[in-house]
Amino acid sequence: MSRLLVEALAVAAKDLRTEFRTRVALNALGLFALTVLAAVSYTVGPYRITAEDRPFLLAVLLWIVIFFAALAGLDRSFVKEEESHTAPLLRLAASPTAVWLGKLGFNLILIYFLMAILVPLYCILMGYKILLVGGFVLILVFGGYALAVITTIVAAIIARALTRGALFSVLSLPLLLPLLIFLIQGTAGAADGTAETVANTLRAVLSMGGVMTIVSAMLFPVVWAD
Amino acid sequence: MRVSEALKWLLLVWLAVVIIAAFFYVRPAEGFIGESSRIVFFHVPMAWIAVLAFLVSCITSVMYLKRRDPKDDIRASVSAGLGLLFAVLATTTGAVFARIMWNAYWNWDPRQTSITILLLIYAAYLALRGAIDDPERRASLSAVYAILAFVTVPFLVFVVPRIYWSLHPDTIINTRGSNEFDSRYTQVLMASLVGFTGLYVWLYTIGCRIESIRQRRRQEVL
Amino acid sequence: MTDLMGIMVVTLMIWVGLFAYVYRLDRKVSRLED
Repeated sequence: MSRLLVEALAVAAKDLRTEFRTRVALNALGLFALTVLAAVSYTVGPYRITAEDRPFLLAVLLWIVIFFAALAGLDRSFVKEEESHTAPLLRLAASPTAVWLGKLGFNLILIYFLMAILVPLYCILMGYKILLVGGFVLILVFGGYALAVITTIVAAIIARALTRGALFSVLSLPLLLPLLIFLIQGTAGAADGTAETVANTLRAVLSMGGVMTIVSAMLFPVVWAD
Repeated sequence: MRVSEALKWLLLVWLAVVIIAAFFYVRPAEGFIGESSRIVFFHVPMAWIAVLAFLVSCITSVMYLKRRDPKDDIRASVSAGLGLLFAVLATTTGAVFARIMWNAYWNWDPRQTSITILLLIYAAYLALRGAIDDPERRASLSAVYAILAFVTVPFLVFVVPRIYWSLHPDTIINTRGSNEFDSRYTQVLMASLVGFTGLYVWLYTIGCRIESIRQRRRQEVL
Repeated sequence: MTDLMGIMVVTLMIWVGLFAYVYRLDRKVSRLED
């Protein structure tokens, strides 16, 4: 068990190190998010939406930005292995589950890093007032986790396909749409203070994340095999 | 005449009778505008087959990963193709119905959202298959995706509607249903379901046979 | 009343046509298999 964790950490650390050197995924994620944020903030701003629509519409925009930024950058961890031809080496060096855990960890760090910068900026620029901040943070944490789990396995699937970039979005979207719907509802609930919606959302997102974790863990070796 | 031949002709007559019954045996149901309730006899079975085809695709995908029999992969892909067809049909008939009833082709209520996501899943599955050359990798990767997609569906079907208010009439079986729709309506609806299922099975077997032949031909060339 | 009759006839025609097409396809495939 601990061997698994050690290998996984090593994979994640390696990915982080390479990412720091080249910053491809970070650039993709960050650039997309900040550009859209700037555009939305400039055109919509804190004043254009009526008070009663704000909790919901601002939730929608926020999650759209996060999701599309994720789709822009989260396939990197697997695609890079194929492009630099280091995948066969990785297959020899670590067990499939360790690779999966490591890549998942890497994607999690990317997503949380993105959220840490984007969400406060978004709330400030758009004047997004959140009543249940604790609930909101929980939604971000668990929503981000579910997002990472799903995109990690899909990234593994498309890594060796022909039309990678487009295929990543096409395959991820149907799986992510239910999650997106939950997260928007929950965030809107957190913003206007309805604790019940937040609780429902957290339950749904947690179960979804849990189920996808188990299924991904079981199926990843099949995807990763040569 | 062999049994399978007889069954095909039975299917022809069966669905023909269903069509006639849908228009003349049944009175339009209450709570529906004009004759629009008749669309339900076709729309609901189409949606049902779209889901059934998805189920078949997923089960055969699991079987493929277990036994690695290429026939299971054929079954999965044929069923997915049929599922896409029926999902498109269900969406179109649903949109026509929505236009008559609520004056808008598309509302994004939970049922419409679900069928859209099913459509996206099918499209994604077929796109994935198109993007991989190696037959074994194509088979195993698409099998994995089918299973992943299948796992998200329960959340869609059961959880999302609880959070949303729905325009969609609960036409199939609900607590009030037995009072609202007379027994003729249920009879024709059930008959239509059976007929459509028969049609799906027939198309599915033909599709599998065609794919098997294609694969055999490819092997012979090699 | 006649509108309904019209739609029904068209639907019937579509079904019979579809059936004929699939039936012929079935026959063709059977011949290829043997």
